Amino acid sequence: MVNKVMWEVDRSDVSLEAFKESPGEFLDAWVTKGERPVSPHPEGGSLTEGERDALKAHDYGYLYAMGVNPFLLWQFARSVSVPDEMTGEELISSFREAVEPHGYPDFHT
Amino acid sequence: MAEIVGVLGVTHNPLMWSVLRDSVPDDLAGVAANFELFRSMVSDLEPDVIVLVASDHFHMLMMANMPAFMIGKAPSMRAVHPNEVRQFGLSPSVVPGDPDLAAHLLGGRDLTSGIDFAFSDEPWLDHSSLIPLLFLTPGLDVPVVPVLTNCNAPPIPTADRFARLGAHLRESIASYDRDRRVLVVGSGHLAHELGGPRQFLGTSPDPDFDQKAVSWMASGDLDAALAATSFDRLTEAGNESYQFLNFITCMAVAAGRPASFAEGTPTRFGNLPFFAWESP
Repeated sequence: MVNKVMWEVDRSDVSLEAFKESPGEFLDAWVTKGERPVSPHPEGGSLTEGERDALKAHDYGYLYAMGVNPFLLWQFARSVSVPDEMTGEELISSFREAVEPHGYPDFHT
Repeated sequence: MAEIVGVLGVTHNPLMWSVLRDSVPDDLAGVAANFELFRSMVSDLEPDVIVLVASDHFHMLMMANMPAFMIGKAPSMRAVHPNEVRQFGLSPSVVPGDPDLAAHLLGGRDLTSGIDFAFSDEPWLDHSSLIPLLFLTPGLDVPVVPVLTNCNAPPIPTADRFARLGAHLRESIASYDRDRRVLVVGSGHLAHELGGPRQFLGTSPDPDFDQKAVSWMASGDLDAALAATSFDRLTEAGNESYQFLNFITCMAVAAGRPASFAEGTPTRFGNLPFFAWESP
């Protein structure tokens, strides 16, 4: 489900702004939507505390190590961290430092 | 009857459009020249329709319901999503479709091809479709049948399934009873990494893979390509290298003929693929 929420934040300008404005509130609302899914395209989903904290903290190393989809992780990181927190070049460097110790985790879902 | 007039395989690196739009940086001169060459080929081939084999990046295909292959059948299609406008500087566009040919590729009323296609009557294309189209048909005036593939979310279809997809496209296009000049375009990468430790290194994450891949195309050696493109080998080449599999489909459409043009053009983004089979 972490893949899904990262995708939701990246793909929609409205979601991205809402997440950047208040990540905790955004994630709470997203989990609430997941508790009452609407077929056939269910919105929202469930998150563990660890996943929720890592998303809020932009802890890309933690998310990578747990086996999220690397493409979705990079898109999410690029959208939420640049340019507010750092430049694109700085993100490339800090992202590499964060993921390098973890090698290539299995990202099958 | 319909006729396959050519098969092309090109990069869909999403940054190519914005970096090449105004002027050509030195390290991308080869890429600009190859796109120009391929545009000229397309112009000479005068296609009535393009069958475009492209990976979807979680826009039409998502883990809530993930098919292996999807054919888009609509008279017109939106292209690029808000995140691609934001991150890659692409403009929202509209691409004409060919729902009749799309329905034929699916099998008409019966899904009989041996390939469990999903289909969409509301396809929305991403950069993997639009980048090749912007360079090859800048007016976006040739109708397109998108064949979107899952190259991003494991389990990813094996290489031999991409080959069977190519064989199906070849046979199905040949049996289409309308007089159409059909160009098949594959969109993908050579060794490529995104979201892993080897992204943006300024060079290919696996030059050896790239060299072999180009040689498979140049010789038309589909068996060698199939033997060396397992999930694990592609991961070794880079965690986004699965999109090379779209070129396996191109090889199968070309039925083992050597490519008339095969190059991995070196750039700061790695080696970018350009493959062509004219009159396959």
